[in-house]
Amino acid sequence: METVVETLHMNKGAGETSYAMNSFVQRKIISLTNQATEKAIMEILCSKRRPITKMGIADLGCSSGPNALRVISEIVEAINATSSLLNHQAPKELMFYMNDLFTNDFNNIFASLPSFHKKIRQQKSNYNNGNIGSNCFVSAVPGSFYGRLFPTKSLHFVHSSSSLHWLSQVPCGLEDERGRGLNKGKLYISKSSPNCVLEAYLQQFQNNFSQFLESRSQEMINGGLMVLSFMGRKSKDPTSANCCYQWELLANALMTMVSEGLVKEEDVDSFNAPYYAPCFEELKIEIEKEGSFMVNSYETYEVDWDDGMELQSDDNDLLGRKMSSGERVAKTIRAVVESMLESHFGSHIMDDLFQRYAKLVEDHLSKTRTKYINLVISLVKRQ
Amino acid sequence: METVVETLHMNKGAGETSYAMNSSVQRKLISLTKQAVEKAIKEILCSQRGPIMKMGIADLGCSSGPNTLMVISELVQTIYATSNTLNRLAPKELMLYLNDLFTNDFNNIFTSLPSFHKKIKQEKENNQSKNNNIRDFGSTCFVSAVPGTFYGRLFPTKSINFFHSSSSLHWLSRVPSGLKDESVRRSNKGKLYISKTTPNSVIEAYSQQFQNDFSCFLESRSLELVDGGRMVLSFMGRESMDPAAPYGCYHWELLAQALMTMVPEGLVEEEKVDSFNAPYYACCYEELKMVIENEGSFSVDSLETYEIDWDEGIKSEKGEGFARLVRAAYESLLEYHFGSHIMDDLFGRYAQLLDHHFSKTRPKFLAFNISLVK
Repeated sequence: METVVETLHMNKGAGETSYAMNSFVQRKIISLTNQATEKAIMEILCSKRRPITKMGIADLGCSSGPNALRVISEIVEAINATSSLLNHQAPKELMFYMNDLFTNDFNNIFASLPSFHKKIRQQKSNYNNGNIGSNCFVSAVPGSFYGRLFPTKSLHFVHSSSSLHWLSQVPCGLEDERGRGLNKGKLYISKSSPNCVLEAYLQQFQNNFSQFLESRSQEMINGGLMVLSFMGRKSKDPTSANCCYQWELLANALMTMVSEGLVKEEDVDSFNAPYYAPCFEELKIEIEKEGSFMVNSYETYEVDWDDGMELQSDDNDLLGRKMSSGERVAKTIRAVVESMLESHFGSHIMDDLFQRYAKLVEDHLSKTRTKYINLVISLVKRQ
Repeated sequence: METVVETLHMNKGAGETSYAMNSSVQRKLISLTKQAVEKAIKEILCSQRGPIMKMGIADLGCSSGPNTLMVISELVQTIYATSNTLNRLAPKELMLYLNDLFTNDFNNIFTSLPSFHKKIKQEKENNQSKNNNIRDFGSTCFVSAVPGTFYGRLFPTKSINFFHSSSSLHWLSRVPSGLKDESVRRSNKGKLYISKTTPNSVIEAYSQQFQNDFSCFLESRSLELVDGGRMVLSFMGRESMDPAAPYGCYHWELLAQALMTMVPEGLVEEEKVDSFNAPYYACCYEELKMVIENEGSFSVDSLETYEIDWDEGIKSEKGEGFARLVRAAYESLLEYHFGSHIMDDLFGRYAQLLDHHFSKTRPKFLAFNISLVK
């Protein structure tokens, strides 16, 4: 059976259902995170008495499409701006490591690198200080960030956006002794989920997040900084709507197909998303337990399900009709979850499923503006 | 206009005309260079007084398909075996960098990485059991992809211990810049590369481009290598100083002939053939040595030449088999210039010319394998 590590990937390419064309929410989140990134870069560059010669920067869960290189562009801009402000030389050599799982569409990112390098050279020449400007080396590091990815003490800055809510695997213990799903009719945590399901999810998250911290702790230099941005929740209650309702509606859409005999009920019962939206308290516990990092800052942002649409130029579907909110949201969710749903339910039901989902979302949003809660946490590695 | 750097790539995937399925000549060259690689690794490890903490190894022009991970698998095995012999720990952290141009099929390589890591883990355990008195014998391997042209900087200063490159350095960074002038570019009539009828001005442009490119390659690598770092480079060359020596160019000659049969049939425009000049150069021994000496950062540890049969690894239907091999490597460039619609026909005709050629002789490539020390 294939694992999350071997199947999870955003929809490839640049077609209608691709992540590249349907990732404006994630793009919005990246821009919300930018403030924390700029602040972190400032701290790193200020803390050194002499200019850094080689700076290692990693983006974990970089995915593909326009967002991937946008992150690096913004980091380069932050480094140029800070160096200029401090009247320092920018680091001579900048190593950018782009990480995502093995099935990520890296070819798509690489095809955009020639024009990216041109843009970076342009950015370099925009600064009057002739000493500004680094040699940028971009590479791809495939693999799971729940484990070691980089050599010891090779990173100054780690960025990760819209990735840490993905678990390394579906939590264990979500089936009864006879192998039947305990989380009936649901894909994730819900008000109807038994306590053992909530506990299993929390346990998996705790294991994963502490693995993440431990690995980064060995890979980062002392005083290095991490800015992590991902889905979470404000309330201690893991069943609160703001962190799971998008899954709830997807489960409801599947259940309508069950009642029409298009999908088997036990398939819905046995699917559990390898996903967890933590609250700050849960993060704090693991950070303190692992012990290598201190929290520098912490923010929460409310993000509409169809946020970032103002950044999208094309609001029409293939037939040129203006898309409803529900349709736009359905497209963003599909681009992200299709790979894992397909392997469980089959690709033949995807079009129908997401049409039903779009209607349910539209209906829900017209009554309640449920929002995502995005956590942005800045950590510094202790000296 | 798109450049070589943005178009050249081996045919993707694992289908009938893919590089993965049609690269037996390239695979043969890799296996011929194994000894030189082992020697270089041994020298690198011996030159250190104790075990290395971090070792950086890069494969330049790694392409995709089974050859890619085979190369780094063998490098890791060599490092373990050599460390065993020296009775010391293998490098604690091994960084393995895979480089090729931006349009290379890296996705294909990455999907094979999980099983590669399992294999390496097994290797580590096998070696561990041979070394019961040494704890944590094996290395942690970090594999990454570094896209871009090796005619220029790819890696930070002094970050690499060993460079490997096979079947890549015969590709130039561009169509020779001396051919920018249209009339010069078209003067190589009816040919795709250097041939007996090629004017001197074209030959000089090619030779100059090779010298510029290879110097740039050496200069960039010398900044990226640690002191005492080494390189083992293998690529196609030619057997004599004569620029049209057949081992270096005859496969292009036949391809040009195949195209020219399509001209009187109105399928291809003659001036399209005239204006295509392959961004490729098969240098001779003298040119190679001269550029190395002039650039000055490296000394030659060894230089070997090999003859490789065109039909290496091709058991039957040699014409078709070799045509697919060439197609897998050259199609991206030819498509860009001539259009994809003529490719099937072109390579069908090429296969026929090849069958005829194979019936008369045993055609060969000449390849260089050079081991350099910084």
